[in-house]
Amino acid sequence: MNMSDFALIVPEIFVLTMASVILVIDAFLHSDRREIFYLLALTTLFGAIILTWVNHFDGRALGFNGTFVVDTMADVLKFVIYLVTAAIFVYSRQYLKARDLFKSEFYILGLFAVLGMMILISAHSMLTVYLGLELMSLSLYSMVAFNRNNVLSSEAAMKYFVLGGFASGVLLYGMSLVYGVSGTLDLAGVSEYLAAQQSFSAPILLGMVFIIVALAFKLGAVPFHMWVPDIYHGSSSVVTAFISTSAKLAVFGFSMRLLIEGMGIMQDSWRDILIILSVLSLLIGNIVAIAQTNIKRMLAYSTISHVGFILLGFIAANPEGYSAAMFYTVTYAITGAAAFGIVILLSREGFEADNIDDYKGLNYRNSWYAFLMLLVMFSMAGVPPMVGFYAKLLVLKAVIGQGMYWLAIVAVLLSVVGAFYYLRVIKVMYFDGAEDRNKIIVGSGVHAVLSSNALLALLLGLFPGTLISLCLTAIS
Amino acid sequence: MVEKIYLAIPLLPLFGAIAAGLFGRYIGRSGAHWITILSVLGSFVLSTIVIKHIIFDHASVYNEAIYIWMISDGIRFEIGFLIDELTALMIGIVTFVSLMVHIYTIGYMRDDPGYQRFFSYIALFTFSMLMLVMSNNFLQLFFGWEAVGLASYLLIGFWHQRETAILANLKAFLINRVGDFGFLLGIAVIFAYANSLDYAEVFAKAENLSLQTINIFAGSEWNVITMICILLFIGAMGKSAQFPLHVWLPDSMEGPTPISALIHAATMVTAGIFMVARMSPLYELSETALNFILMIGSITALFMGLLGLIQYDIKRVVAYSTLSQLGYMTVALGASAYGAAIFHLMTHAFFKALLFLAAGSVIIAMHHEQDMRKMGGLKKYMPITHWTSLIGCLALIGFPLFSGFFSKDSIIGAVQYSDLSAANTAYMALLAGVFVTALYSFRMYFMVFHTRDRMDEHTREYLTETSWVVTMPLVLLAIPSIFSGFIFEPIVFGEFFSRSIHVADSHNVLNELGSTFEGIQGFVMHAFSGPVTYLAFAGVGVAYWIYVIKPQFAVDMQHRFNLIYKFMDNKYYIDHLYINVFSVAGRAIGKVLWKLGDNVVIDGFIVNGSARAMGWLSNVLRHLQTGYLYHYAFAMIAGMIALISMFVIAVNI
Amino acid sequence: MTFQYGLFMFFAALVVYGAVCVITLRNPVHAVLHLVLTFFASAGLWMLLEAEFLAIILVLVYVGAVMVLFLFVVMMLDINVSETREGFVSYVPVGFLIGLVLLLQIRIVVGSEFFGLDQYPLPVPRPADYSNTAELGYLIYTVYVYPFEIAAVILLVAIIAAISLTMRRRPESRKQMPDKQVKVKADERLKLIKMDAVVSVDKKDQGDDV
Repeated sequence: MNMSDFALIVPEIFVLTMASVILVIDAFLHSDRREIFYLLALTTLFGAIILTWVNHFDGRALGFNGTFVVDTMADVLKFVIYLVTAAIFVYSRQYLKARDLFKSEFYILGLFAVLGMMILISAHSMLTVYLGLELMSLSLYSMVAFNRNNVLSSEAAMKYFVLGGFASGVLLYGMSLVYGVSGTLDLAGVSEYLAAQQSFSAPILLGMVFIIVALAFKLGAVPFHMWVPDIYHGSSSVVTAFISTSAKLAVFGFSMRLLIEGMGIMQDSWRDILIILSVLSLLIGNIVAIAQTNIKRMLAYSTISHVGFILLGFIAANPEGYSAAMFYTVTYAITGAAAFGIVILLSREGFEADNIDDYKGLNYRNSWYAFLMLLVMFSMAGVPPMVGFYAKLLVLKAVIGQGMYWLAIVAVLLSVVGAFYYLRVIKVMYFDGAEDRNKIIVGSGVHAVLSSNALLALLLGLFPGTLISLCLTAIS
Repeated sequence: MVEKIYLAIPLLPLFGAIAAGLFGRYIGRSGAHWITILSVLGSFVLSTIVIKHIIFDHASVYNEAIYIWMISDGIRFEIGFLIDELTALMIGIVTFVSLMVHIYTIGYMRDDPGYQRFFSYIALFTFSMLMLVMSNNFLQLFFGWEAVGLASYLLIGFWHQRETAILANLKAFLINRVGDFGFLLGIAVIFAYANSLDYAEVFAKAENLSLQTINIFAGSEWNVITMICILLFIGAMGKSAQFPLHVWLPDSMEGPTPISALIHAATMVTAGIFMVARMSPLYELSETALNFILMIGSITALFMGLLGLIQYDIKRVVAYSTLSQLGYMTVALGASAYGAAIFHLMTHAFFKALLFLAAGSVIIAMHHEQDMRKMGGLKKYMPITHWTSLIGCLALIGFPLFSGFFSKDSIIGAVQYSDLSAANTAYMALLAGVFVTALYSFRMYFMVFHTRDRMDEHTREYLTETSWVVTMPLVLLAIPSIFSGFIFEPIVFGEFFSRSIHVADSHNVLNELGSTFEGIQGFVMHAFSGPVTYLAFAGVGVAYWIYVIKPQFAVDMQHRFNLIYKFMDNKYYIDHLYINVFSVAGRAIGKVLWKLGDNVVIDGFIVNGSARAMGWLSNVLRHLQTGYLYHYAFAMIAGMIALISMFVIAVNI
Repeated sequence: MTFQYGLFMFFAALVVYGAVCVITLRNPVHAVLHLVLTFFASAGLWMLLEAEFLAIILVLVYVGAVMVLFLFVVMMLDINVSETREGFVSYVPVGFLIGLVLLLQIRIVVGSEFFGLDQYPLPVPRPADYSNTAELGYLIYTVYVYPFEIAAVILLVAIIAAISLTMRRRPESRKQMPDKQVKVKADERLKLIKMDAVVSVDKKDQGDDV
């Protein structure tokens, strides 16, 4: 360790400092002036954007005895996390105020969760991977429970906490097996150890399975997905948005670090597991979503099916596949934020717009938001020229490039099934009469952020080149 | 820096289109025309800079990708620009004519409720055409190609309350789809055999492609390059309205007049000609394709001109003349006289825009009356329109020293030197075409501006010259219609296009023609030794005799040769063929497939059946989500054990 | 069989016994006490591994602080034992089966052929003045400073989460307001007012007050 190591973690230090500053200010500020925390939280994220931007360099640097790494992938993922989190913070204000939840702790916990994500993405040792994951998860558990007077939300937090604890335990067990055999926590060390093996011993395989189980849990892949619908449904829409977008990006980074950087050499061993997880996720996610009447549950199952697609990128097991998976995750996070943004926006005091029927005739109530939702749904269904189409295309191409045609065919067929429930939302919005005639009141800032967020799904679909090449450089 | 200029040229009109289209309500009518005119003016000014840069300063050719859209299997899909003399000339023509049309529209559409929408569409049209001509790859070419088609669809059907306008734009769209299908197939063949969409890369592989064959049906071997060229040309036939895909163009007169001028002179129809010239390195390798082009071009040039003789709608006469002139350009392409084709394209752009806008001016003055039988003697009411129309007609028939003279004569001369088997037929057709052109042009001129007044009292009372926004473009277009011919020597004979057009030595007819060239005076003198000029004079003379001296003669002829007249009046029954045979058969097949295939098999069994199955499955599976924590934990542990078993068993056995 | 081996077996047996009791005993107080036993036994195992510092910390922090706190909580909360046990019996067979399968599978992998004594070199005996604590401290503040700081942040988040989720402002609760208490002036504390002597009408009330 030397002082230059600290230069690498300037964004992390900044976020931590700001979160602590907000915490301290909170103790001295009157509760009427909570807007300040909101603004400070946004300032923190924008500061982090600038610092990450300034700190960025081509290439890769390790710090703190190899426990920390900065590379393009980390910077890109962090960058998207800041943006998506900032957008969700903007959406959250009105929603939280209407429920008397507009408190500094929400934003502080959010910032700590972001810090955990940053640490997780930049982890280069199993120790930091675990600590980053715990920091993120702990913050998320408490955010889910934040609406403590709501039974659903408390129940969701309880489930999330217990199952998440279980997954952490499994992860630790897997890591300790890997450590026990390889004798190192460093991911590069693990990779070196594995490269030297002729065949993989049973403990390392078992450790790998445990690690993948934990990954699958965090991603929400079937059969480790059971928490997803309940937590998405139970927590307040803002937290759901946060879990399904920013946290997904972090978990992608987590998978890349552990599975690819650490255990990439074992790809022939883990590929079969991932194929099972991916096909099951596509199957359960797409089919069960059809039967949902609650839009948050529907989006939960849709997330599960998207995870199936992301896993397809890993299955391809080459830089093309990984970058396709990264492109998929990034664009999913963006469209997901827009989708939940609209769900948050349509909710108001004492009313959650979380039933699909609540969207009936949205076009007649507010045609612009109906249009934005249309864009988002099209993108998720993979209709060209939306960005979701490219994401699916790239992943499928990577899989086909490996000669796994049947997998690609299964994925395409199931995403056709999936298109049904996205289109149903559109049908409800455009062809059904409005039951709810309440006016939709939206601040201009939220309006601008949400509009640009949803239009980004279209814009990236029209001009995907930059992001694709960014993902390619990030992986290689 | 140059890159920014190149980028700004198409993007300015796009910006104008978006501003006028999406925010038309906020910026108002004058806002819409100011913003689009200024944006097109901007790109016109930038185009002149590019012309100076490329043509006069001989700057190096710019061929770069601006944006990589995506890379798939090593093939790049890009947006890029190829700026050479051909492009520079084209963007100059497009932006100039478009600018004139924009200004003119202020007057023509003054009272139309869809004012902003119209400006948005024509700016979009300009953008599409600029993207098309500036492209350096087939993908972008196709984008421009389709965008032009879309814009023309929107514009022809601009007055969507009119039944005829809807039919006309549908027709234009469908006929163009037929052409586009060929075009797309052509690009697909290129993609499959050359593995690239980039012009330069494809051209580099052209020699190689010409040695390969493609097996379409069992036993029939086609040369790949011939295949590509003919397929691409089918696309050009649609856009440039060549026989037999020409039927949409006369009907496109249903759109407002400014758009007719834009479609006919500067944008859409020139796309096909431009494309073939751009693809010259491919076409030069296939004599079959060149012969095919010659034949199509000469049929169009002669027979479409003949139809102009019997039209009474002033705009339709001009429309058929466009068809015929496009035939001339196509013939020039077929004879490898690309320079002459582009040159004719340029002069034609000026005088045809002029003729259309003049016809529009007449129509405005006549309160939207288009029938020439109800006009006559307008000379004294509308002097500016009259004189500019006369200039347009003279340029069109190739009267010596007018711009059309130089371009048309060089085409005819070039065809004369061509060794291709279809060249002789084409030459004869073109000669006959000269006479026909002169005849219908001056028939129109005399019927509109001379002879006695045939309009009703009410119209005559208000008959005056149109406002300055209408006449100014006329005058501005009349100038190049007269003088632009004088620059023909470097364009047609010189090395002007040597960087953008490739001509095989054996086909180099322009070179042969150029070797006899001894200055402009010599060219003019030489014209009097050949039949061309006399044929044109004869045409004018006959027109004067029939329509001014003995108006009864035409009516007599019409009765005497009623059968022929009817044949021509029905446009050779091509429309009937399309409507009654192809479309009826197509619809019948479609109906069978719909009833049997769609309703029974696909809808009934596959779609609804599978949807029902999925719905059932979904309802069963959702019950797995019980909500109990220990069920979830149990499922996770069970899943984990299953995964572990896979490995433990595999390792231990 | 050396003395050390005997000790190891003793502590290991204690750990297993304690852990099983924690999850099977019906009385929560007993369960917590068995957890304490498990920690003690684990500390003994760590001693055998020459991890003296960690063993002492385990006893001090977990047994001395955490478990005592835990005992307080368990004793104060009146948990209805029979209710939480509902359905326990019906899941025992399935749970037992799953547990057995998992145990077998892990046993196959984590056997002596991979983690046996012959797989690892014997640890070098340290001299008597070797300081375990100093070594740990050195590592934590140099090599592992980054993970160490993250751990600190996690604890901070845990505190924030616990407070924000449990602290409620109850209207009946009383608290000090230091800022107001400091700013208070003498005349605000005590106010002398003059009033006429009032004779209460209700004699009985008066009598109660006295």
